Amino acid sequence: MTTKTIKVDYLARVEGEGALDLHIEDGAVKAANLRIFEPPRFFEAFLRGRGYMELPDIVARICGICPVAYQMGAVQAVERAFGIEVGGQLRTLRRLLYCGEWIESHALHVVMLHAPDFLGYPDAIRMAEKHGDVVRSGLAVKKAGNALMCLLGGREIHPVNVRPGGFYRLPTKAELAPMGEELKRARDQAFDLVRWTSTLPIPDFEQDYEFVAMRHESEYPITGGRLVSSRGIDIDIGDFENEFEERHVPHSTALHAMVKQRGAYLVGPLARYALNSQLLPETIQSLAREAGLGPVCNNPFRSIVVRALEVAFACEEAVRLIGEYELPEAATVPFEPRAGTGFGCTEAPRGICWHRYDFEEDGTIRAARIVPPTSQNQPSIEADLAAVAGSLVEADDDVIRDRCEQTIRNYDPCISCSAHFLKLSVHRS
Amino acid sequence: MSGPPCVLVLCLGNPDRGDDGVGAAVAALLEEHLPPGVTLMARSGDMLALIEDWAQFDAIVCVDAAAPMGEPGRIHRIDLAHEELPRDMAFLSSHAFGLGEAVALARTLDLAPRDIVVYAIEGACFDGGAPLSAQVAAAAAPAAERVRAEAARLQEQENHA
Repeated sequence: MTTKTIKVDYLARVEGEGALDLHIEDGAVKAANLRIFEPPRFFEAFLRGRGYMELPDIVARICGICPVAYQMGAVQAVERAFGIEVGGQLRTLRRLLYCGEWIESHALHVVMLHAPDFLGYPDAIRMAEKHGDVVRSGLAVKKAGNALMCLLGGREIHPVNVRPGGFYRLPTKAELAPMGEELKRARDQAFDLVRWTSTLPIPDFEQDYEFVAMRHESEYPITGGRLVSSRGIDIDIGDFENEFEERHVPHSTALHAMVKQRGAYLVGPLARYALNSQLLPETIQSLAREAGLGPVCNNPFRSIVVRALEVAFACEEAVRLIGEYELPEAATVPFEPRAGTGFGCTEAPRGICWHRYDFEEDGTIRAARIVPPTSQNQPSIEADLAAVAGSLVEADDDVIRDRCEQTIRNYDPCISCSAHFLKLSVHRS
Repeated sequence: MSGPPCVLVLCLGNPDRGDDGVGAAVAALLEEHLPPGVTLMARSGDMLALIEDWAQFDAIVCVDAAAPMGEPGRIHRIDLAHEELPRDMAFLSSHAFGLGEAVALARTLDLAPRDIVVYAIEGACFDGGAPLSAQVAAAAAPAAERVRAEAARLQEQENHA
């Protein structure tokens, strides 16, 4: 019996700290473990005993890249528990803020973190030597997303303007107007970015995923909807725990989420697109066809095209929302706290981010549970790694290592969020 | 670059992470004490956003904390016309996209100012919520004075360029 171990001790260009161990025995992959060793962060534990008004700003600190996802899930849960309805332009502003996060997070990943993999560059700096226009354009698109976050959230990282019932401060139409012009330029650049990603050499690889995403009756999902899957799940977000469970695994400080009945599932751009592509505006659907995308994409390496498409969509949607914006009469819907349980779920850039909180009579948090997208995708990442490595067992370790790292980056994993990051170890026997 | 020559003093770091806050401390000391026309900016967040922030300037003076090297509070002056900033072969995460990578990318994209001088102040403790350590706190005022003089020199140089 021959065994071989390949290790990646520290995965580059992902958010957080983790490693990968591959165990190869007699020419077959026996285990592909994404080891997340970033220490647990205990957010759920130290939320206990805090007031509901502190919640959005505390959970925003879970992630510097996707703080809005955490804020939105948290305020939704508060509002559902206290019986608050936030609609109209306040809801529009939340969707607009979320567009900013999609733009900045996706543009960062597509251009700076993921694209170098397809062209054989070690990083975006080397890629910029030959593809300077793409990098410049990606940075400009990202900057537009940051600016939107700044304007609506008060600052680009860990925004502070979202609160239960609405916002602390509302932007005026005059403040939003120049942002609309910047976003129109970003939209044009994002359209070109989609076309550029569609020319990248994409590995031929497909998986039979169960896609899970939100679905809204009339819009591409960002801030709300039901939870649906490609294998028949169609539930209210409050029923998440009936269908899904999280399991401890020895090699990771992040929990692994599973569909109780079936196992691994996929959240994120591929899932959103597969379950909702018909809800994209015709301009974006047309761009998808131009980029070679059908209604469903099962190739995780092609997620770079879908992610770029979502940047184009988010820019277009933001322009539309700004065009229709009217200053609401009040920044907040009045409400009183009450005892109860609230659920929140929104589409973070990396997929659904689910929250549940139990509140005391005065709104004090009694219990909290947050299920971030990366922990939901971990089993699928490992399944992809086993399949990708399985097709390369005879290759040099460096070849296996590079392709496995790229496989992980397909997911834009936010390991900081999920641990609660990557070394690759390949064990051959 | 068109328009009047301009100099940016860019103070980097997170004031809630111990000695990483020395950039913010230097910025506080420089407020209203820089030569007229010199722009002061303090940043704790997205280094990628810096690239567009500094593209409009002819020269920048950066102030940042440096990793411990055995002499907390020691002020290192690095003129990037003559020296390189230490840079990882690949940035490990977007969170770790540091000044060295930002400068390298800006230069590749032809978005870097002509002159970049870095003042790196050696830290000792970077714990979350920790104050500046005594040696680093004591270095803030002399660092601020050297940065002010450097900004004045660069502005004079740009005026005669």
